[in-house]
Amino acid sequence: MTAPPTQPIPLPRKPAASTASLLIVPSLIGALVALALGIYGRVHSPTGIAINIAGFSSPGSVKSWLATGATVFAIVQVGSALVMYGKVPRVTAPEWIGGLHKWSGRIAFLLAVPVAIHCLYALGFQQYSTRVLIHSVFGCLFFGAFTVKMLILPKRGLPGWVLPVVGAVVFTLLVVIWLTSAYWFFSTFGIKA
Amino acid sequence: MKRNTPLITLLVGAALGVVLLVASMLTTPSSALPNYSAAAASSAAPASSAAPAESSESSEAPEPAESSVAASAPAAAPSPAPTRTTPTADFTGRVGGGGGSVAVAVHGDKAIAYVCNGSTVEGWMRGKVEGDKLVLTGKNQTHLTASYHAGKVTGDVEAHGTDYSFSVPTVSKSSSKSSGLYQATAVVQGKTIKAGWIVLGDGTQVGSVEIGESGEKAVTAPKLDVATMTARIGNVVLHAVPVSGVTGSGF
Repeated sequence: MTAPPTQPIPLPRKPAASTASLLIVPSLIGALVALALGIYGRVHSPTGIAINIAGFSSPGSVKSWLATGATVFAIVQVGSALVMYGKVPRVTAPEWIGGLHKWSGRIAFLLAVPVAIHCLYALGFQQYSTRVLIHSVFGCLFFGAFTVKMLILPKRGLPGWVLPVVGAVVFTLLVVIWLTSAYWFFSTFGIKA
Repeated sequence: MKRNTPLITLLVGAALGVVLLVASMLTTPSSALPNYSAAAASSAAPASSAAPAESSESSEAPEPAESSVAASAPAAAPSPAPTRTTPTADFTGRVGGGGGSVAVAVHGDKAIAYVCNGSTVEGWMRGKVEGDKLVLTGKNQTHLTASYHAGKVTGDVEAHGTDYSFSVPTVSKSSSKSSGLYQATAVVQGKTIKAGWIVLGDGTQVGSVEIGESGEKAVTAPKLDVATMTARIGNVVLHAVPVSGVTGSGF
């Protein structure tokens, strides 16, 4: 009589506990990354200047194009993830979709890094307008969330919803960052190289 | 092997970030790298305790202006005692004669000042706060001496051989949100330029751009759009950063 009620309890509990334990260390590391970026951006005196990339008229346009590139690859990320999870009707995942997902992600991340370094080093964590405050906060959160995503990716035994949720958070953060920077830059100053 | 690729991605990104950060530090003029962290640590405690007193004093502009006179007398009202040692404050105003503006930012025991006539006479200064005295120096013999009280800073400043005396109030948050001191640095055609703007409470602004690292040559700055915190020189967009003792930005 006591067996049927007790049996269902350990089943959900065991995966739940291991999910938490699998997520806790990556989440803490991600939180520390976000916190470290924010503290550095706040404490370090912004120099207004950083290493420049040749071929563009100003750091603002370099950053806007790199961020736009990262966002385009991030859209590829969402598209390829949808295909991999079989969420696109009548499309079966081709063999190369995993490679596309990995490499578009790597390229997007590597494009975002120089932008973030310029932000942190030259401009710092600022709050003089809502746009700038949102951008500063989300910029720090993005790299924290991306760290979490990378750290939990090799983990086995996670529930199926974890990676899509974390991936969606990373993508949303990046889009907000892009809207509060590159989109603002292009709409204020015009689209130019 | 295969399981570690995301970690490799992360480490490659981190390494790229470190390389770019170091490269940026190497290309930045050394004068633009003040040592802030030590001051931030030491001034954090007094700043947080005295900041509310300062903000409540500065919000009522006429009162501190009168109490600053009283502050020099020994038998002052009880309130000036904490405000006299206020470690953070921002001051902006026109210099005597109205030929330009001066901005002073005090943060802990450090201060930054900028004087500017909107054209060729301008200069950035840095220095220490000793008691209520400010002694700040900059390139090309630019210097400022002043005493500061609750709500007001009074003194003399000399830049490019032009001498100004001034007595300017604290930046009032109520009059204009964008009032204050701003700077922007960029490299245009291989030359480092440094722009400075002083925006007053009534919205008027003056600004100059130093061309080259010597700071000897300056020209009128393009207008700073305070809504976007940007200004344009030709195709180059300058991003202005506030220099504020209250927030510590720019120190």
